[in-house]
Amino acid sequence: MREREIKAIAEWRKYLRFWGRDVQRDIDDELRFHLEMREQDFVASGMTSSDAHDATLQRFGSVDEVTRALRAHDIGRERSRHRVEVFETIAQDVRYGARKLMQSPGFTIAVVLVLALGIGINSAIFSAVDAALLRPLPFRDAERLAALRVIRPPSAMRINGAPAPKRAPDTDDVAAMGDVIEAMGSYAPGSLNLSGGNEPARVKVALATPSLFPMLGATPALGRNFVNAEGSEQANVVMLSYGVWRRQYGGDSSVIGRSILLNGLPYTVIGVMEKKFIYPAGTDLWIPLSLPFEWKGAGGEAFHNYLPLSTIVKLKPGVDALTAGKRVRALYAPFETAESPVKHTAAELVLPLQETIVKDRRTALLVLMGAAVLVLLTACANVTNLLLARAAARRREIEIRAALGASRTRIVQQLLTESVLLSLAGGVLGIAFAYSGLRLLTTLMPPQLVDLAPPSIDSRVLGFSLLLATMTGLLFGLWPAFGAARKSTTTTASSKRSNSAGATARDGRTLRSIFVVSEMAFALMLLIGAGLMLRSFRELVNTDSGVQIDRVATLELTLPKARYDNGQAVMGFYNALMERMRRVPGVTAAAVINELPLRGESGIGLEVIAEGAIQDPNKEPLYPKYLRVTPEYFQVMGIQLRAGRALSDLDNRKQPVAVINQAMADVLWPGQSAVGKRFALGTMPGEVPSYITVAGVIANVRSQSIDTAPTAQMYLPFSDSPELFSGIIARGTGDPKTMLAGLQAAVRAVDASQPIYNLQMLDQAVSKTIAPRRTNTLLIATFGLLAVVLAAFGVYAVIGYGVSQRTREIGIRIALGAGVGGVLRMVLREGLILGLIGVLVGLGGAWALSRILESMLYGVSARDPFTFVAAPLLLIGITVIATLIPARTASRVDPVRAIRIE
Amino acid sequence: MAAGTGDLLQGTLGILILKALQPREMHGYAVARWIQETTGDVLQIEEGSLYPALRRLEDKGFVEAQWGISDNNRRARFYAITPQGREHLRNDASTWMRFAEAVMVVLRTEPSLVGVPQPAAV
Repeated sequence: MREREIKAIAEWRKYLRFWGRDVQRDIDDELRFHLEMREQDFVASGMTSSDAHDATLQRFGSVDEVTRALRAHDIGRERSRHRVEVFETIAQDVRYGARKLMQSPGFTIAVVLVLALGIGINSAIFSAVDAALLRPLPFRDAERLAALRVIRPPSAMRINGAPAPKRAPDTDDVAAMGDVIEAMGSYAPGSLNLSGGNEPARVKVALATPSLFPMLGATPALGRNFVNAEGSEQANVVMLSYGVWRRQYGGDSSVIGRSILLNGLPYTVIGVMEKKFIYPAGTDLWIPLSLPFEWKGAGGEAFHNYLPLSTIVKLKPGVDALTAGKRVRALYAPFETAESPVKHTAAELVLPLQETIVKDRRTALLVLMGAAVLVLLTACANVTNLLLARAAARRREIEIRAALGASRTRIVQQLLTESVLLSLAGGVLGIAFAYSGLRLLTTLMPPQLVDLAPPSIDSRVLGFSLLLATMTGLLFGLWPAFGAARKSTTTTASSKRSNSAGATARDGRTLRSIFVVSEMAFALMLLIGAGLMLRSFRELVNTDSGVQIDRVATLELTLPKARYDNGQAVMGFYNALMERMRRVPGVTAAAVINELPLRGESGIGLEVIAEGAIQDPNKEPLYPKYLRVTPEYFQVMGIQLRAGRALSDLDNRKQPVAVINQAMADVLWPGQSAVGKRFALGTMPGEVPSYITVAGVIANVRSQSIDTAPTAQMYLPFSDSPELFSGIIARGTGDPKTMLAGLQAAVRAVDASQPIYNLQMLDQAVSKTIAPRRTNTLLIATFGLLAVVLAAFGVYAVIGYGVSQRTREIGIRIALGAGVGGVLRMVLREGLILGLIGVLVGLGGAWALSRILESMLYGVSARDPFTFVAAPLLLIGITVIATLIPARTASRVDPVRAIRIE
Repeated sequence: MAAGTGDLLQGTLGILILKALQPREMHGYAVARWIQETTGDVLQIEEGSLYPALRRLEDKGFVEAQWGISDNNRRARFYAITPQGREHLRNDASTWMRFAEAVMVVLRTEPSLVGVPQPAAV
C-alpha cells in the first residue's frame, strides 16, 4: 500500500484506540495468522502457492464477514468494559471525595452554604422567569393567540333614532376575515355583589362571549359552557370558578341549576370551570357578554361608566400577528379621509398575546436574573479561591497519588468530583432556600399569570438547578484541579518544604488575586445597581404627590340598582352615610368619589372642548380624567386650591360647575385665568352642548398612580350625577383600626345589607400598588449585600492566607526594623491595591450596564453620580476593614519565632 | 458424510471446540487442525466460523483468551478452557450422546436402510 493510504488507515485507527486497544489490528493479526498457517500447510502438502491461497480462502469462508462479526463483537465488549470502568472510577472518586470533605467540615459547610445561596437564588428567579417568560401561555395553541387593540365592537348607539354612522371598522369586520382569523372572543372584568351562597361577598366578575372559553381551551369541570344564544341575550346564566365553587358552595356538585343572586338579580349556575383556568386575573365567575353591549342585567352593573373590553383572536395556522395587523389596518381604508388619517400602525393593532401580558414585567425579571447570576459568579470566585488554598495544602497527598501511578486525568477527575459534590450539595440546599422564597416572587409576575402559572419548583426548575449546580462545580473546580494535577506531575524534587510552599504561595497568589478582583468587580456592579434602586424607591416614596395619603381610610361599595333606581335614592344613601361618617369619633372630613385615587387603574376620561374653541383636527383632543366628588373631597385629600373656590353643597345641576387642575387649565386656556371660563363635554354632531363653568383650579396632584405624573383632571359634583359605584374616603385623627371599624359601622347603620369591599387605609392601598417595585428593590439590595459580604470575605481570605504563608518574610522584616506600622502598611497596601483594581473594573462594568435599569428607575438617572461615587467608596472601605484583621495578625508576628520556623 | 456447516452445526461447533481445548490451550488454527485430524476430515467446517464461535464461548465464560507466541514465533491468540467450560462440556456431551443414540435406534428399526453403516460392535 502506498504511504498515504497507510497513513489514512492509521489515522482512522486512532478512534478505535479510544477503547483502549486497537481492536481492528488484533482481529487482523489473529485471522491473518490462521490464513497463513493454513496456506503453509497446503503448500507443504504439495499445492502450488496460488492454489494453496485459493484453497485457504475457500476453506475459510468470507474473511470480510468474519472480520465484521468479530469487530462488532469486540468493539461492543470494549465499550461495556469501558463503561464499567468509568462508573467504577466515578464511584471511587465520589467515595474518596466525600471522605476528604468530611475531614474538613468547616470548609465543606462554608462552601456548601455559599453555593446554596448562589444556586438557590438563581433557581428561584429562574422559576419566575420560566413561568412568566419562557413557557408559553397556558392556553391551547397559545402561540396563535393575539390581542386585538383599538378596534371596538359594533356600536348600538343611535342618534335621533337612527343608527350612528360607522366611523371605523369594528370587531365583526375583523372576525369576518376568515382566512386570517380562526376565532375571536372578548371579555370585560368587573365586580358585583354575590349572595345566595355561604355569605355575601364582593366578587370579581368577567363578562365573556361564549366563544372565549373554547378558543382558549378552557373546559368546564362541571356542567357546560355558555351557548351562543345565551351570549347574544346576555342571559342570566353564570359559570363559577373552581375556587368560588369550593369556597362559597362547598364543592357541592348539585350547584348546577341553582340560582344565585348577583347584585340581587337571580342568575342560574350552568357550569363550574376547571381548576387551572382563571382568566382574566382573579376572576371569580363569568357571565355571558353580548356585543353590541347592553347595559342591562347584572352585567350592566358590573362596571363604572364604561366597558373595559378586551378582545383576543386566534390566528389561523401560519398567520403571524403582523400579517393580521396589516389586514386589520387595511379595513380602515374605506373610512380614511384626508382630514382624519388612520393613526394606528399594523403592529399596534394586533399583538401576540404573550407579549401583552409579560411586557411590563419582562425587564425587571431579566435584570433580577442577571443580578442573580452575578451573585453566583461572585460565589464561584470565592469558592475557587478557597479550593485553590485547599489544593495547595493538599500538595503532599496529590504528589503521593501521582507517584503511585495516578494519571493526570485521574487526579483531575477526582478533584473535579469533589467540586461537583460540593456544588450538588449546595444545589440541594439551594432548592430548599428557593422553595421557601417562592411566595415573595409572586409580586413580580404579570398579574394575569399569578393564578394561571405561578412560579413553582417543577421539573424544569429542578433540571435547571441540577445543570447549574453541575456547571458551577466544574467552573470553580477546573482551575484548582488542573493546577494541582499539573504541579504534582512536574518534578517536585526534595526541595525544602517551606521553600516549595513559598513558591506555590507566590504564583498561586496572582491567580487568587485575580479571582478576588473579579469578586470585587461583581460586587460593585451589584452594589451600584442596588444603590440606584434604593435611591429610586426613596424618591418614589418621598415624592410630593400633592395629596396627603396618611390617615385616610377608604372603602368601596356598589349600590344594587334594584333598590336604588333613581338619583334621589342614591344621593339619599350617600348623604345619610356622610352624616354618619362625620359622627365617627376622630373623623375630620368625609367624602364620596366615583373612583378612588392612586390605585394604578386608568379610569375614564371624557373629551372636553373649551367654549368658543375651534376643534383643531391636527391636535389631539383633551381627555381629562373624569372624577365626581362630594365637596369635602379636597379637604380629605389635603388638596390645595390655587384659584377660585372648591365645590360646595350649593352647586346643582342647573348651573353646572367643576373644579379643574392646573394641567387642564393650561391646555384649554393657556396663560389666562381659568376661573369663570366654560367648557363642554364631548358632544355628538347635532347635539346642543351643555356648558360647565370652572369654579376653581387646584394644583396638579397625583390621582392615577403614585409614580405617574398627573395629567388633566376635572372634578364635578357627585350629586349632579350620583353613581352606584363609589369609593368612600375619610380623613381622621384616630388610629387606623378605629377609623376603619367606624367607617364600616357607618355603612351598616345606613343599610345593613350593603356589602362593602376593600376596606383599608389609603397608604396601605398605595403601598400595594408599588409592591413589584418594592420586591425588586429588596431583592437587588439583598443580592448586593450578599455579594459585598462574599467579596469582603474573599479579600480577607486571600490577604490572610498570604500573610500566613509569608510569616518568615514578615518576621525578617520586623527583625530588620520595619516596625509594626511598616508591616501594617504593607499588608494594607496589598489589600487596597486589590480593592482599587476591583473597583475600577466594576465601575467599568456598571457604567456599561446600568442603562438596562433605566426603565425601572424613578427620579434617578441610570448614571447617578452620587451612587457611582458612594458605592466604590463603601466597597473600598469594607476592603480596608477586611484587610485590617490579617494586617494586625501580621504586625503581631514574633520575629524570633518566625525566623526559627523551618 | 460431509455435514453441512450451516445451522446444524452451530451448537455442536461449541462442543467440538471445547473438546479440542480439553487437553491443552490452543490457537484458533490449531483447533481447526485438531477437528480436521480427529474426524479424519469427515467434518469439514468453514474455518472462519470458528472465530465467532470462540467469541461466544468467551462471552459465556467457558473459554479464556490471551495473546501469546506460537511455535513459529508468531503473535497468536490462544484459547484455554475454563472450569465452567469443562462442566458445560461434560453436560452437553452426555446430552448429545443420548440424543445421537436415540436417533441411531430410530434409524435402525426394521425395515433397515441399505447402505447405512452399522455400529462396529454392540
